[in-house]
Amino acid sequence: MLSYILKRLAQGILTVWFIATATFFAMHNVPGDPLTNDRAMTDITRANLEAKYGLDQPITTQYLIFLRNLSRGDFGISFVQENREVNDIIREHFPVSAILGVLAVIFAATGGVLFGALTALYRNRFPDYLIMFLVIMGISVPSFVVAALSQLSLVTFNNLIGFTVLPVAGWGTILHMLVPALVLGLSTMAYLTRLMRSSMLEVTSSDYVRTAKSKGVPATRIFTRHQLRNAILPVVTVLGPAIAAITTGGFVVELVFAIPGLGRYFVEAVQQLDYTVIMGTTVFYGAFLVFMVIIVDVVYGLIDPRVRMET
Amino acid sequence: MSADGNKLNADAPLLEVENLHVEFDTYGGTVEAVRGVDFTVEQGQTLAIVGESGCGKSVTVQSIMGLIPMPPGRITAGSARLRGHEVLGRNRIDGKEIRGREIGMIFQDPMTSLNPTMSIGAQIAEPLQVHRGYSATDAFAEAVHLLEMSKIPEAAKRARQYPFEFSGGMLQRAMIAMAISCKPSILIADEPTTALDVTIQAQILDLMQDLQKETGMAIILITHDLGVVARMADEVAVMYAGRVVEHGSADDVFYRSAHPYTVGLKEAMPTNDPALQHELKPIEGSPPDLFAPPRGCGYCARCPHAMQVCDVQPPSDHFLHDHHFSRCWLHHEQAPIKPETIYFKDAKA
Repeated sequence: MLSYILKRLAQGILTVWFIATATFFAMHNVPGDPLTNDRAMTDITRANLEAKYGLDQPITTQYLIFLRNLSRGDFGISFVQENREVNDIIREHFPVSAILGVLAVIFAATGGVLFGALTALYRNRFPDYLIMFLVIMGISVPSFVVAALSQLSLVTFNNLIGFTVLPVAGWGTILHMLVPALVLGLSTMAYLTRLMRSSMLEVTSSDYVRTAKSKGVPATRIFTRHQLRNAILPVVTVLGPAIAAITTGGFVVELVFAIPGLGRYFVEAVQQLDYTVIMGTTVFYGAFLVFMVIIVDVVYGLIDPRVRMET
Repeated sequence: MSADGNKLNADAPLLEVENLHVEFDTYGGTVEAVRGVDFTVEQGQTLAIVGESGCGKSVTVQSIMGLIPMPPGRITAGSARLRGHEVLGRNRIDGKEIRGREIGMIFQDPMTSLNPTMSIGAQIAEPLQVHRGYSATDAFAEAVHLLEMSKIPEAAKRARQYPFEFSGGMLQRAMIAMAISCKPSILIADEPTTALDVTIQAQILDLMQDLQKETGMAIILITHDLGVVARMADEVAVMYAGRVVEHGSADDVFYRSAHPYTVGLKEAMPTNDPALQHELKPIEGSPPDLFAPPRGCGYCARCPHAMQVCDVQPPSDHFLHDHHFSRCWLHHEQAPIKPETIYFKDAKA
């Protein structure tokens, strides 16, 4: 198991290096210059930046400088925001995005498994039809619409009862997090529900569930010991990409709910061609996602003994 | 009988199935899969139920075990009594589950019949935890013992492994260990060797016979392999189109076959005995459509000796002697041909 994890980590580092390289060259191919913007920049600042990042050198030299800094964990200083280190931006804003993302993933996973199992249990009856209708809605309605609608209903609700139960926007307490996390996780939850439903139905009609019945195992125990664990496998498989979807989808939700997450910097950096911030946030997000996928794979191995052996 | 089964009536037959009818609703209409099956199993005996695919043998035992999905399945009539207690449709006697405790069952495909994410030992231990209240540790220790009984080498190590680490034959041994873990009085084996190769088949059958000698359990063996029947069975019930057409001791059914279908099955069996070498003769045609079962005898359309009466009226049971009956009009006193002339020609003794 340990050698498997080490192998995956090595592969992960390679992946991150590839992401960094691809982003680096793509970014430099975008026309324009990060130092020519409306803000006045003294010649000295400009000269310093050019010297530090080798901006007046060929692109290969710049790339080597970037790699050297990266290996030391130094993403540099923002070109646009004065005196802000990229590391500081990440340190300050990533925890907010992470908490929101983790909460959203928890909502999506538990909700997906729960509703999926429910629909399978009530197959072709009212609860199944209702949940599957909501699932189609959850998949097809974009998150900024859901976000705005949920804000609207929150305002109406808070006005109606006269005080604020759940705040409409902002960040700080757990109450601030609930609604945005739910909105962020909603489409993933819907997707996982569908997946869980079909996999649960498949497991229910499987030979080994029939065997468990023939052993006289009570229905609840069959559900927990035989059905759930096997039905959850496909859900765990897509959890890696789902985490990616939620983290990158966080930007819109963060914007609507005025949450000071990393998403805004990620997007604005690209618009302003802020080289260091683009590289910093991309490499960081990339590493984070690769790491999450590795964790998901390790968890999968814990659930399914067949995967454990193949390592 | 198991230790805690003392409330059961010891005088009543171990398992008595009477007039069992099972239907399935499908998009094409209602299939009458089982149309009146009767049989009795006594302690320590092996009853083989033989017949071609779709004749209702699996449905019969699965309805006794409560494994028929309802809907679409439906038991419309009949009863199954374990030591005098009705178990059909309820699987319980005095509130106690009988499946796994009084009746164990193994299936055709051991590869898919075990939970892929649960260790073999834990799956064998499960009935002991559920029915006997064993702790997980005690049950697992007993599971190792059961694997040893099923002649699996290195049982302690094997018990911690998962189904994908076992071969097909080993899995069927594990299935048997699981089915007999609570010392049931009946073991139902639904085509236990169909998915296995021939040498493994023999080993599995030997194991079942050994365990039967040790525990005195009855075995209901479902198969379409007459070789397996000859080797294992005390009693044989031949099923066709949802009914038992001939029932008797293995010797009676093999050497004094009294139903044209049984004769047909025997003739369709390949043999390597030069003395008995005859052309392999398939039974022409196909079984009747059970969406609209025939009025008369189900075998009528394929029977070389069919008479007019066969088409319109179902034959009743004709007893050749106490324990041997055949559902065939040829045994009627007014039948034009003597059944002996056609049936007993292959008889050895």
